[in-house]
Amino acid sequence: MTLRAYVIAYLVFLYAPIALLPLFAFNDSTVIAFPLDDFTTKWFAELWTVEALHAALWNSLVIAVVSTLLATLLGLAAARAAAKYRFPGKQGIMGMIMLPLILPEIIVAVSLLVVVIQVLGWPLSRWTIVAAHTLICIPFSIAILNGAFRNLDAALEEAAVDLGEGRWSAFRLVTVPLIAPGIVASLLVGFTISLDEFIIAFFLSGAEPTLPVYIWGLLRFPARLPVVMALGTLLVIASILLLTFAEIMRRRGVARAGLRDKGGFL
Amino acid sequence: MSIVSLGGIEKYYGDYHALRDVSVEIAAGEFFSLLGPSGCGKTTLLRVIAGFEEVTSGGVRIAGADMKGVPANRRPTNMVFQSYAIFPHLSVAENVAFGLRRAGLSREEKGRKVGAALEMVGLSGFGGRRAHALSGGQRQRVALARALILEPKVLLLDEPLSALDKKMREQMQGELRRLQRQVGITFVLVTHDQEEALTMSDRIAVMFEGRIAQLDTPEALYRRPGSREVAEFIGLMSFVDGYGASGEVEINGFGRAPLPGVPEGRVVVGMRPESLTLLAPGEGAEHRVPGSVVDRAYYGDMTFYRVALDGSDTVVGVTMKNRARREVHDIGAPVSLGWEPEALVAFPA
Repeated sequence: MTLRAYVIAYLVFLYAPIALLPLFAFNDSTVIAFPLDDFTTKWFAELWTVEALHAALWNSLVIAVVSTLLATLLGLAAARAAAKYRFPGKQGIMGMIMLPLILPEIIVAVSLLVVVIQVLGWPLSRWTIVAAHTLICIPFSIAILNGAFRNLDAALEEAAVDLGEGRWSAFRLVTVPLIAPGIVASLLVGFTISLDEFIIAFFLSGAEPTLPVYIWGLLRFPARLPVVMALGTLLVIASILLLTFAEIMRRRGVARAGLRDKGGFL
Repeated sequence: MSIVSLGGIEKYYGDYHALRDVSVEIAAGEFFSLLGPSGCGKTTLLRVIAGFEEVTSGGVRIAGADMKGVPANRRPTNMVFQSYAIFPHLSVAENVAFGLRRAGLSREEKGRKVGAALEMVGLSGFGGRRAHALSGGQRQRVALARALILEPKVLLLDEPLSALDKKMREQMQGELRRLQRQVGITFVLVTHDQEEALTMSDRIAVMFEGRIAQLDTPEALYRRPGSREVAEFIGLMSFVDGYGASGEVEINGFGRAPLPGVPEGRVVVGMRPESLTLLAPGEGAEHRVPGSVVDRAYYGDMTFYRVALDGSDTVVGVTMKNRARREVHDIGAPVSLGWEPEALVAFPA
């Protein structure tokens, strides 16, 4: 009984704040407080008119897409090498690659800022953020793809080569379809991490803020808060759609490989 | 004419010497086996032929062509992998058709070939199945069909039966042999199972520690093993100390017998358990010694005895076919052991 109460309390604590987002997003008042006023969609309409927001959103999307693509590509190479080859110092090298996973982001942000401005002398731009986000996404990609490669029989690629395919087409025809669920998961996780990453983006963004940095800037103007709520609502819906898509892809992958479903994220 | 010709193959992995001066000629249409314990280099040698391993030195020729620098996908060989390596995301038919991707065949032609290949391995009508819905034996048949559809000059089989249960394994041994005769393709089989090698092969290369210890027909290997190592690895054999001198051997507990070609001096004499007999009362034999049963295992079709010779510490294994009129001896029973000098082999001690 106490366990059940605990679970309910836990879920309320977890989701109530998120449930408040749409509540105030449709509330016709600039004050975020109960009791609620009339129903309105004007905050959503306002979203369409704020061009700085569009620029920030576009900036975030470009950074997220490029970072997750790069991280997944590099992670794929690392995970394949780790699964297939034995080389001296393998453990140490893999450990070093995974380190950003536990390194405080503030440290990564500050040191990257120093490197970019002082050492390299580059101007801050979205590409400096892409570089940093790729760095922090790679460990997640490797962790996910390692799992995908672990279930893969090394003889499968050899069999494809034996049957006349070159190394690259063997990889494309056999390995890629079998680890596709891992690739999709890695892309989605990287995308999500980059999209809502704040500290590094804040340090490295220069004149082109990302969406989280832009939202943080909005908070200084209380009158704009309902707009932030509306934006938050849209982001939650987008996240749910993305996760659902990821889970569908994962189940399809499991069914295709003939494995037993041991449960994914959901 | 030899279809595979290996000359002086050496293979190192770092400091590890995996293959030592291996030279073999495999004849076209032959069922050839590489037999040895795990780690003896037999799989490495198979992968050298397939093109998956580079040799440190030595040459590989297949069908007369030098294979130096020829990658696995351009060699006229195909492989049945130990794990079968069936592509799990493809159907049975797609698996079998995989190697035809680059053959430039029409859909109908491809379908016909896949159908014929599946029929050959007894899987007609399985084309639409998903690969993961198959049993172990069926997977192996798919792997065979997939490899044979390309009509390779040589089919390489890496422990293809080791994942199957005993009954299935015995059935597949017969089928592999039948298939090989039917298609006439050279089969090179890697196995650690001496019985499997004996029943299926035309010739067997026995390998120890990266070296070919003996290359012979199954019968010659069994009856005239070239070394004690080979004799121990193939079949059962009892070893008794002895002394050889000018074509005769004095065997501890057995006495003296002629043995042409016996090494001079101290020797180890090997005896197969089926060449020894427990004589029935009144049954005669040219060579016989008294002894007693120390241990016994009943197999149904035969009984295996361990017999200690009277007045010596020699113990030998004896198998006797079980017949209705033949007595099964108890442990401790006194027996008369008949033996044939012709069946003996001797190695320097």
